[in-house]
Amino acid sequence: MTQLQARGVVRAYGPTPALRGVTLDVAEGEIVAVTGPSGCGKSTLLHCLAGILRPDAGEVTWRGHRIDTWSEAARSRLRRTEFGVLFQFGQLVAELTAAENVALPLLLAGTGRREARTAALTWLERFGVADLADLRPGEMSGGQQQRCATARALVTEPWVLFADEPTGALDTLTGEQVLTQLVRLAREQRTAVVLVTHEPRIAAYADREIVLRDGLVDHTGLGLDVPLAGGSR
Amino acid sequence: MRPATLVRLALAGNRTDTARVVLTALSALLASLAGMAALTVLAIQTPAGEAWAESEQYRNELLREPGLRGGTAFALLMLAVPVLALAGQCARLGAPARDRRLAALRLAGATPGQVTRLAVLETGLASLLGTLAGLGVYLVGRQLLHRPDERGRLALPTDVLPSTGALVAVVLGLPVLAAAATALMLRTVTTSPLGVSRRTVRERGPRPWAGLLIGLGLASFVAVRPVAYRFDGNDAVLGWLVPLLFLAGGLAAMIGVVIGTGWISHTCGRLLHRHARGASALLAAGRLLADPWAGSRTFAALLAAVIFGAGAAVQRAYFATQDQVEREQSRLAGVAADINPFYLSTMDLVDAAVAVAMLIAAGGLIVALVEGIVARRRAYAALVATGVPRATLSGSVAWQALTPAVPAILLALTVGTMLGRGLFPSVSTGGSSTVVCDATAALCDDPATRDQYTRIVQIAEAERAIPVPLEQLAWLGAGALAAVLVTVGVGLLFLRVSTAADELRTA
Amino acid sequence: MGRVSTPHVLLGLLAGGSRHGYELKRAHDQRLPRARPLAFGQVYATLGRLERDGLVATAGQDRASGPDRTTYALTGDGRATLDQWLSTVEPPMPYVASTLFAKVVVALLVADVERARSYLVAQRAAHTARLRELTAVKADPAATLSDVVAADFAIAHLDADLRWLHTTLGRVADWHREVHP
Repeated sequence: MTQLQARGVVRAYGPTPALRGVTLDVAEGEIVAVTGPSGCGKSTLLHCLAGILRPDAGEVTWRGHRIDTWSEAARSRLRRTEFGVLFQFGQLVAELTAAENVALPLLLAGTGRREARTAALTWLERFGVADLADLRPGEMSGGQQQRCATARALVTEPWVLFADEPTGALDTLTGEQVLTQLVRLAREQRTAVVLVTHEPRIAAYADREIVLRDGLVDHTGLGLDVPLAGGSR
Repeated sequence: MRPATLVRLALAGNRTDTARVVLTALSALLASLAGMAALTVLAIQTPAGEAWAESEQYRNELLREPGLRGGTAFALLMLAVPVLALAGQCARLGAPARDRRLAALRLAGATPGQVTRLAVLETGLASLLGTLAGLGVYLVGRQLLHRPDERGRLALPTDVLPSTGALVAVVLGLPVLAAAATALMLRTVTTSPLGVSRRTVRERGPRPWAGLLIGLGLASFVAVRPVAYRFDGNDAVLGWLVPLLFLAGGLAAMIGVVIGTGWISHTCGRLLHRHARGASALLAAGRLLADPWAGSRTFAALLAAVIFGAGAAVQRAYFATQDQVEREQSRLAGVAADINPFYLSTMDLVDAAVAVAMLIAAGGLIVALVEGIVARRRAYAALVATGVPRATLSGSVAWQALTPAVPAILLALTVGTMLGRGLFPSVSTGGSSTVVCDATAALCDDPATRDQYTRIVQIAEAERAIPVPLEQLAWLGAGALAAVLVTVGVGLLFLRVSTAADELRTA
Repeated sequence: MGRVSTPHVLLGLLAGGSRHGYELKRAHDQRLPRARPLAFGQVYATLGRLERDGLVATAGQDRASGPDRTTYALTGDGRATLDQWLSTVEPPMPYVASTLFAKVVVALLVADVERARSYLVAQRAAHTARLRELTAVKADPAATLSDVVAADFAIAHLDADLRWLHTTLGRVADWHREVHP
């Protein structure tokens, strides 16, 4: 059952076109990788799908609702409760502890502090970083921060998790560990994942790959035009 | 390091750095002007003869009477304090970027001493430029404003010059103070070339230096009267001792309040953290706990203005009470009162000065808060992207600004009032006697008949405590709170602009 | 015979037209530097075998003047063999490297656009699918340390293959833009 759909999504930043008509589907519980060379519009596509940005043209549909027509407040609530968002870095609040960071979406949804803290600790436990619960992000390593950020993205048990280069700032082994945990927990909850990356290794964790080139979906997967043949003799 | 290199490195910077330098120079100019004005007033000589003889060459009673001059000098000096606080705040403009630059220099091999010298050079030079310009303005102003009226009296004390030593002290002392303050603030950067990337949280919070400093300030002010009496007549000593007591006391009290605000911010953070229900309160609590000093720096200038205003309110109450006592005494004795309504009208001048100081302070508040928001826009944008509503962020900014503001303003009001009361403990009028003639003017003027109708009336001594001017203080506090609210409003506007999704692009 | 599939490379080099034996050797070394340079003997031995198999034919000078001066040309069979080779996807096992290298070079520099594109698309898809398989092997809770280590090895090489492929495509595209503006 298709959950998330994009039809002809167009989005520009001022005069620069980022997306020129992208169409794709994401099914429930599916893990999709969006790849392509830098500047091809992957992050913009993610932002449009997650409701962070409104496309200039085209449709984004989630479970039958045209979320691209929703107000900012409605989309914000969507991101809070039904979606989870994960970035490369900089998304944890530096002044709060790990447990408070993970509890934040629950607090925003109206959960009491005690309950929220319990849930947060459970999720930190699942990622193996429960002992960091009362530390601030500045006191943790990059990998630990990303685990906490992933816990925060999954704490509301969202339908879709949007991850933009989540392992970009991590070394190979740490990135692999974080991603493995992410994929395992997402599958357990049947959360769909849209994973933006430029690395083939990371894309290999997905069920399916969508290659973008110059703001469009490239079905060849090469990300480039094949140049004319016949080199000089 | 060669001096040329030092200057070159010190001058390196962007628009924010230039703004900082200019504002530092301006503040130094204003502060030095205030100091020099105060010194001038104090330098007015009492004519030889009675201890309380008036200096006739001035039109304004504030300058004529020796008793009032002290108060005027105090007022002028206290006006310097909010300017100094503003200067301290502007010195923090663009400080994170500058600290990162200095940390990078440290990594490249500069010693802590060299790096400190760089920053100190920038601040010191800027302040020196400001004070020198202030001196210039002062000297030129003296010539321009020297306008005796038809009776040869002057509106301003443009015929007196403070001692050269005092002037030099102001012109050189302020830059030295600024340099020392900069060196102190740079401690964290110079000790570690990594800057402040990873830092363990000081759960202790600020320590109670605040109370000590406030106590010192109070003691200093309380000591002014006894000292003046003790050295009465010894103008040489009084010339520097009294201003020193005022300056030292005022500064100590102000710094004490600022540090106290740091403690207040931290404690508010802790309380908020424990009892916070919603996300905005929690975010605000985290911010207050993580950086309580940001709270105190933001308020520094405003609190200085509030202290000044509270002291002025007490002074006004002093004059009002004195007025009242004299009226009562005269009425009891059946004599027409010889009241001079002048005191109260000059207090209006002082109130105007307080209003100006608060305006300066509000400007400083806006600068500090907006800079904080803009510097953290990446983090805010990421939060909005993950679904935190803008309303929550706005709420957290409001909590974070207002929660420590209320107790801090109350503290400043209290300290200012106590300073004022230290200076003016109570109204006491000495006893006096007047000769009263009960008949018509004709009979009184005639020496032959006068004696029948005259009697001597004793006006008894009276001492009365000054009531606390609660109404005035309430207005002052409300004004300060309004300034904070306006600042929060402006900050929220900037927050809206700063959280556009464009901030997320890492390219 | 060297690891690089010499007969196919020679067939590829002849696809654009007939060449002298000496030119073939030079073209081979030029196109595939760092591959072990062919000794003259090897070229002519390979050419001989190709001719015997009916994949190339001599033309021009007669054989008597020596293989150097002889002109060789692709036959119909030769063209068919070349096509078939280019259409076959290299199974993405760890040591694809050299054959992949030869095939991509020939595809880009010799074949027509459609042929090259379909080959490259298919090859990339095969690599990606294999990568996915191996990643799943690692995530399997029943995987032993040796399984994971072996999978890592294969993944690293396949990743390298893919990166090289993409980079080469980019370079050739740039070069083409320069030469054919």
